[in-house]
Amino acid sequence: MTGSITDRRAVVTRAPTPRLGRLRSWWSNPWRKPRLLEAVTWAYLAWSILPIFVAVLISFNQGRSNSSIQGLGLNWWWGDPSSSLFRDPELHAAIFQSLRLSVATMVVTVPLGVAFALGLDRWHGRGSGTANFVMLLSFVMPEIVLGVAMFLVVVHVLAFLNLGTVAQVVGLVTYQLSYPVIIVRARLLSVGKEYEEAAMDLGAPPRQAIRRVLLPLLYPAILASFTVVFADSLDDFVTVRYLSGPANSEPLSVKIYNFSRGSPTPAINAAATFLLFATTIVVVLGYLGYRYTQRGERREDMTALTGL
Amino acid sequence: MRRSAGAAVALPSLSAILAACTRPGETRTPEQIDLLVPRPDRPVTLPMTGEPIATDTPIESGAELQIFNWVDYVWKAIVRRFVEENSEHDISFSAVTTFNNMEEAVSKMQAGEIEADVFFPTIDAVPKLAVAGLLQPLNHELIPNLEENVWSVYQNPYYDQQWRYTVPYTVYTTGISYRRDVISDSQIYGMANPWEILWDPAHRDRVGVYDSYRDTIQTALLKGGITDINTGDQGDLDLATDELLSMLDLVNPRATINGSYKRLPQGEFDLHLSWSGDIAAGWGYVPEYTRDYYENLGYWFPEDRVGPVDNDCIAIPANAPHPRLAHEFINFLLDFQNAMDNFSWVGYQPPMNDAQPALLTEAEGLYSQISGWAEPAEYVLPWMESAVVRQSDFDVGYRQAPLSPEADERWNDVWQQFKAGVKTGE
Amino acid sequence: MSKPASSPSPARVSKVRRTRAAEQSGVHYPRWFWPAFASPAIAWLLVFFLLPLYTVLSIAFGTVDPIFRTPLPVWQPWWWTTSHVVEGLDKTFGLFQQVYLRTFWYVLLASAVCLVLGYAVAYYVARHGGRRKTLLLVLLVSPLWISYLMRMLAWVNLLDREGYVNRILTFLHVVPQPVGWLEGRGITVILGLVYGYIPYMILPLYAFLDRIEGSLLESGRDLGADPVSTFVRVTLPLSRPAILAGLVIVSLPMFGDYFTNTMLSGSPSTTMIGNLIDDSINTAGQGPEAAVLILILMIMLLIPIGYYLRSTARAAEAR
Repeated sequence: MTGSITDRRAVVTRAPTPRLGRLRSWWSNPWRKPRLLEAVTWAYLAWSILPIFVAVLISFNQGRSNSSIQGLGLNWWWGDPSSSLFRDPELHAAIFQSLRLSVATMVVTVPLGVAFALGLDRWHGRGSGTANFVMLLSFVMPEIVLGVAMFLVVVHVLAFLNLGTVAQVVGLVTYQLSYPVIIVRARLLSVGKEYEEAAMDLGAPPRQAIRRVLLPLLYPAILASFTVVFADSLDDFVTVRYLSGPANSEPLSVKIYNFSRGSPTPAINAAATFLLFATTIVVVLGYLGYRYTQRGERREDMTALTGL
Repeated sequence: MRRSAGAAVALPSLSAILAACTRPGETRTPEQIDLLVPRPDRPVTLPMTGEPIATDTPIESGAELQIFNWVDYVWKAIVRRFVEENSEHDISFSAVTTFNNMEEAVSKMQAGEIEADVFFPTIDAVPKLAVAGLLQPLNHELIPNLEENVWSVYQNPYYDQQWRYTVPYTVYTTGISYRRDVISDSQIYGMANPWEILWDPAHRDRVGVYDSYRDTIQTALLKGGITDINTGDQGDLDLATDELLSMLDLVNPRATINGSYKRLPQGEFDLHLSWSGDIAAGWGYVPEYTRDYYENLGYWFPEDRVGPVDNDCIAIPANAPHPRLAHEFINFLLDFQNAMDNFSWVGYQPPMNDAQPALLTEAEGLYSQISGWAEPAEYVLPWMESAVVRQSDFDVGYRQAPLSPEADERWNDVWQQFKAGVKTGE
Repeated sequence: MSKPASSPSPARVSKVRRTRAAEQSGVHYPRWFWPAFASPAIAWLLVFFLLPLYTVLSIAFGTVDPIFRTPLPVWQPWWWTTSHVVEGLDKTFGLFQQVYLRTFWYVLLASAVCLVLGYAVAYYVARHGGRRKTLLLVLLVSPLWISYLMRMLAWVNLLDREGYVNRILTFLHVVPQPVGWLEGRGITVILGLVYGYIPYMILPLYAFLDRIEGSLLESGRDLGADPVSTFVRVTLPLSRPAILAGLVIVSLPMFGDYFTNTMLSGSPSTTMIGNLIDDSINTAGQGPEAAVLILILMIMLLIPIGYYLRSTARAAEAR
């Protein structure tokens, strides 16, 4: 009689078995640390970045092998008298071509794309839906379709255009055009029309309203567009390969592909590493500029870069 | 959607406007077709589509030499030597414009997309390009080395009588390269039909063929006992198709360009269809440059020398920016020492009168001499003596000649089936 | 990035109404203003996007020069020849059927791996990144800064029989002997595709997961659900649009990929649609066939593309 209630309570509150109970309580803890996800993430990052390290490391290989390190040295950077990066005009031409293509593409695509974004966003008349559709179509089209189609056009229709740098830039611009549009439109959505309209209410003509009010608001997106288009076209392969002409119009990506079907030396790794540095610098500058243009504003996260 | 499609039709080119009134498609006369399919017993004199440049044309000053060639098919050091020897004309050179196969090269030239000074075609491309006016006739006085140094047969080759458009570049045979640490010489040489070894399931995943339709299909024909390697007969080609598809099932081959000279020495293949020059150059690509590693490389070719033998050519495109320089370069390449030095790197033998075949397996080439990091290697390693090409080989061997358009289409169909990886028995 | 949803004040409402009316009557901007902005790009796309697509059509329905076998485009639809198209369709279900099926299979597997792995990584970085979020983001994006082909070439060297991957695997006794990764295996091609395209899955997923209101997810936790249930019942349904966007961005380019197969395999038993196109574009006499292959590819992808475009349009309207 005396211990009956306490006995029942003891029965009710006792856990099933010590071990299973701990496991179950660990599993159902809403606040537990995601150890598995963390492990997966770091494993993924290692898998993702390891080849880059290896590629950069091999560029400092003393020997001729592309697969095993035979000592370290600057042989392929400027040591070897004919094949090193510093001495081989073919690699120079390739690097310059890559940079030339990306800068030219960037310079053409971004203004075209920003204007397109503005037009598409604000234009509510006939044809805007079609234009929007065509733009999105160019975004999702596999690159081989665009590359082959452009190749056929250049060879069979636009005879004045030869395969080479100009054709490559044209192809790249077409392929990249949708990126600035998507990025800028995402930004436009958050900016809204009030500022321009306020400016115009205060008497500014439309062109000024855009130049002095809207564009500065769009600087982060424009900068992001420059960076994205630059990085993406630096690395482009399918389009520029179909549209390459003579040897000096082949950017580094095409050279790497050709060499991989021939006999690559670590010098090609050195060239790729060199471009990696160039890209890193550009991206860092882009990011710093982005932060600078965002100063004083509610801080947008970098998801605007992805624009999705 | 319909609206934008309608807008897109609006931009024809001039040729399209002209063609708007006529049905497209060209026709050629039968004589022209005959020109395009020369055979050793039916030699062809290509029509002159222009005048060669004058003998007294000066070498173009400040020119950058433009070469259109296969990957790794001319030694850059030799080109640089040429540039140095002509430094008084301020010549420069940066890179070779490359192509992956002859079809790509021909289609780019036909489209007018290439401006090269020298071009290295295979024989089957020569008549096509010459008849279309895409090659320029050579001025023989500017290339005296051909008559001085080169096998005399090349002053009147069957595909270009009177050597109007081409000079020979290299001669080679097509056989099988193999790793001697996996397959012994006696094993492969002892077989009744050694071509069959490429179908041997014991070497599954370790067999390679060339990413070239003529050479690979020809191998299937030879394995099946058909000796006409230029056949257009559908029955023959059906047999070849069956053989190739069964090869896919049996050994899962890979199609490469560098498989024989680079990847087999590296150990990625045990067997590879091979041109003689590829395996001769293989010593430069082994993991460690010692005689032991060189001894792992082997080459098989029929002992009676009845097998595919051929040569490649050098030509000057009609739109060459620097034709005089091109002639000078060709003459340079036909110089005995330059040709032999190029041979030491490329592996492909030049048809030089002074190159004694017997000595090629004893003498060390320039590339080996300057490669201090590698043990010495002869032009052709002694245990692959079958890779040496003799003039007499051309009397008994099979030559790869240009195909007629219909035959070519059938060959392409066979190739497409092979490359698509269609499995038989499905 | 939506504006706070508060009820507008009367003054603001009338201003908005006034502005909208003014816009419709063109007071602020003339009617040609915005289309003029869009017109250079439209002209560009017309000439360099739509015209090339029409050229593909013209070549597919065109003829071939009988001697040189170069493709001859036919611009007028009334003179189109259907022989190449018919032959191409025939081959799609005959000769090339295996290639199409194989490509579908590879893309399916590769996209699935990209999704599962990419989602896990994106989720972790977005929701549990904490102070290291920026570092993690940089590490995630950095592979896109080095040439894609260089990364592939690095893998080719690593996967060699004597390469480091095999050395580690045999050292850890995971495999008894070195594996011939590069000897024409489908798994290598699939992993190569995953490797190349997974950043394009992670970034949109990250963007989305980063923007989700934390309170939505925490509500699940507050109510006592374990993390897995919260994920399955709250996060996953919410992320559907982002998942679809990521899948589209990743799988569509994979259909046209050919160089991954060429570099990592080279065997006809792993041929993909992209290889068929690439091989035929430079083969004499197969110009129309290449064009037909392109058309078939586009039509095949029209359904997912259409779906993606409609859902984007709907999402845009909803905003």
